[in-house]
Amino acid sequence: MARKAKHSAVFWIFLTPVLLAFTLVIFIPFILGVFYSFTDWSSSAANQGGLKYVGFSNYDKSLHDLKFIYSFGVTTVYTVLNMLFVNAVAFGLALLVSTKIKGRNVYRAGFFIPNLIGGLVLGFVWQFIFNAAIPFIGPLIGLGSLADPKNFLLSNNVGATFGLVIVSTWQSAGYIMMIYLAAIQSVPAELHEAAQIDGASPAYRLWAITVPMVAQAFTVTTFLTLINSFKQFDVNVSLTAGGPSVMFQNHAIAGTELLAMNIYNTAFAANSLSQGQARSVVFFLVLVVISIFQVMASKKKEVEL
Amino acid sequence: MKKLAFFLVALSLSLGAFGQAKITLVHNKVEIDKAMKTYAAEWGKANNVDVTIITSGGDNGNMGQILQADYAAGEMPDIFVIDGPDTYSQWANILADLSGEKWVGQTSVAYRSPDGKVVGQPVAVEGWGMAYNADILKAAGVDPAKLTSLGAYKAAFAKIDAQKAKLGLKSVVSMAASTGMGWVTGDHNVNSYLSNGLKYGDKSIANLALQGKVDAKRLADYADWVELLFKYADQTVLTAGTYDDQVGAFATGKAAFLHQGNWVDPNLAAAKATFKAGFAPHGSSSAVTDGVFVSAPTWYVINKDSKNIAAAKKYLNDLVFTAAGNDYVVNKAGMIPAFANIKLQPSGPLSKSIQEWAAKGKIYSWNQYMLPAQFRSNSLVPIYNQFASGQIDKAKFISLFTDAIATLKQ
Repeated sequence: MARKAKHSAVFWIFLTPVLLAFTLVIFIPFILGVFYSFTDWSSSAANQGGLKYVGFSNYDKSLHDLKFIYSFGVTTVYTVLNMLFVNAVAFGLALLVSTKIKGRNVYRAGFFIPNLIGGLVLGFVWQFIFNAAIPFIGPLIGLGSLADPKNFLLSNNVGATFGLVIVSTWQSAGYIMMIYLAAIQSVPAELHEAAQIDGASPAYRLWAITVPMVAQAFTVTTFLTLINSFKQFDVNVSLTAGGPSVMFQNHAIAGTELLAMNIYNTAFAANSLSQGQARSVVFFLVLVVISIFQVMASKKKEVEL
Repeated sequence: MKKLAFFLVALSLSLGAFGQAKITLVHNKVEIDKAMKTYAAEWGKANNVDVTIITSGGDNGNMGQILQADYAAGEMPDIFVIDGPDTYSQWANILADLSGEKWVGQTSVAYRSPDGKVVGQPVAVEGWGMAYNADILKAAGVDPAKLTSLGAYKAAFAKIDAQKAKLGLKSVVSMAASTGMGWVTGDHNVNSYLSNGLKYGDKSIANLALQGKVDAKRLADYADWVELLFKYADQTVLTAGTYDDQVGAFATGKAAFLHQGNWVDPNLAAAKATFKAGFAPHGSSSAVTDGVFVSAPTWYVINKDSKNIAAAKKYLNDLVFTAAGNDYVVNKAGMIPAFANIKLQPSGPLSKSIQEWAAKGKIYSWNQYMLPAQFRSNSLVPIYNQFASGQIDKAKFISLFTDAIATLKQ
């Protein structure tokens, strides 16, 4: 009994720093944020008379804003593409570096390095690659059309969305690869040996042994890529700045403004903090629902030895 | 011994700071950051005030975020910057009345509250037109003094375009219309529609826009002007260029005209550009419009709840009335002073050109900031971008522009 009490005291002592940090920087701001989304909060001297309760009008305005609706669409497309690309590339790289090829430690480190570079920097570097380096190299290798600004990857919204996916894949594939690599290495070797004796081909062993055995990793990686793609902000700001524009329901609007950037622009460029806050709450709810479904679906695929 | 000396220095520094007045200034002119910090440090030493300068520039109201965060934290700076009616209404409740200050008599562009109180000291006078490379124009046989209407520009652009190879040009105009450079179109170019050719201070077209209406005849001319600028621009710079690309093309003699203001002087100097340059009016109208857009774009304001109002007021006064202050404003920061008593002249060719236009009284207002910031960046910029990338034609541009203005009606 006494031992159990001691245990639980230790438990809480160790947990306190995390709980404190979580409460201060996540929980309280979140509650405040929800509260502000129902007011005319502006964080400026204009509110000196106190906050006014405005009901659901911030939500109403947001859901009737074409830009917000478009952002939802383009963010969904981007997220799906990004999840596919990042996971496919990361899994491929993990398989590659888990074989016995020469210099695999160098590869492991090399693939991981882009993850250590900030998204803002990456965005500007790749903007240079897409807008200056490729058009420069194109004519030199006999592809003059690459120098035509109409053919730049970032010159239309479809291309620019792929541009975001390329940069994001380049950035995060190495990180996701590490998770796959750890899972692949923990698959017991005797399973492969037994299958080999039974005459299973390498491709069949990959499909029947490796994939089910690393399903746990899939749950984690798809969750991580889903959340990170949905919350994409820094690469978006530096690579495309929301552009180029696109016609949507007979209005010209920013074509690659993902949700996080839309919220930022609503709050700070349009100077409407409370409406930006309302959009964050909507964003949060959508993210929670999608994540729960995704984790539930992936969990079903996991196997235990 | 060395350690002891270091300790003593540190001790004396910290003692020196004790009991000093402290003022914090938040501003958004990145290009003068270094000059301002140097000046503020010297001024602080001479007046025994600890001055902290916080610089946050760029578009999209980055400075606004700092101010909002500081306000929420209860640490509002003593001096900060407003840029027009939008930000004025945000902070109106905490602005000190500066009507009694000595500098008020020396300027005509102080920021006044709707009830006539002076609340803002102009940071500088700025302006833009079509910046031209005088050497190239001379070689091409174009007289910049005659560039005062749409027709004149059409002829001149065609003439220069035909001699591009001979003149070593890549394009006639250096123009930017990407989403990231939206301030060139949505903040500056749109002002040709709002104020070009109108008497200084005439806000009729902007007020019409705020009622949701456009002047169709004026807009048709303006659309021709936008089309002309886009047609003769380097398409890569136009749709994918950055500020450096746009200004660089002009600074290196690859373009004869540049759609920017006198703030590019430091960039030209940094690029070691030696050609003569000046401003010509915008040709957004078939009638003659003989003037450029000049105004004080930003104002210093003082937080009335500051504990050091006296020091803050002295800081602003000293910019206008001391030799060191004037030297900093004009020579170190390269700005055009907004005060009659300052006799120093800026050395940049474009700043000089703005001063010449202003001296002749041939100036038009900046009315673009009468339109809400979010309208300019969210509604107007994508329309220009569509037009620039050739996705829509001129007729569609006019109809989208008209529809967008219609949403301004309250």
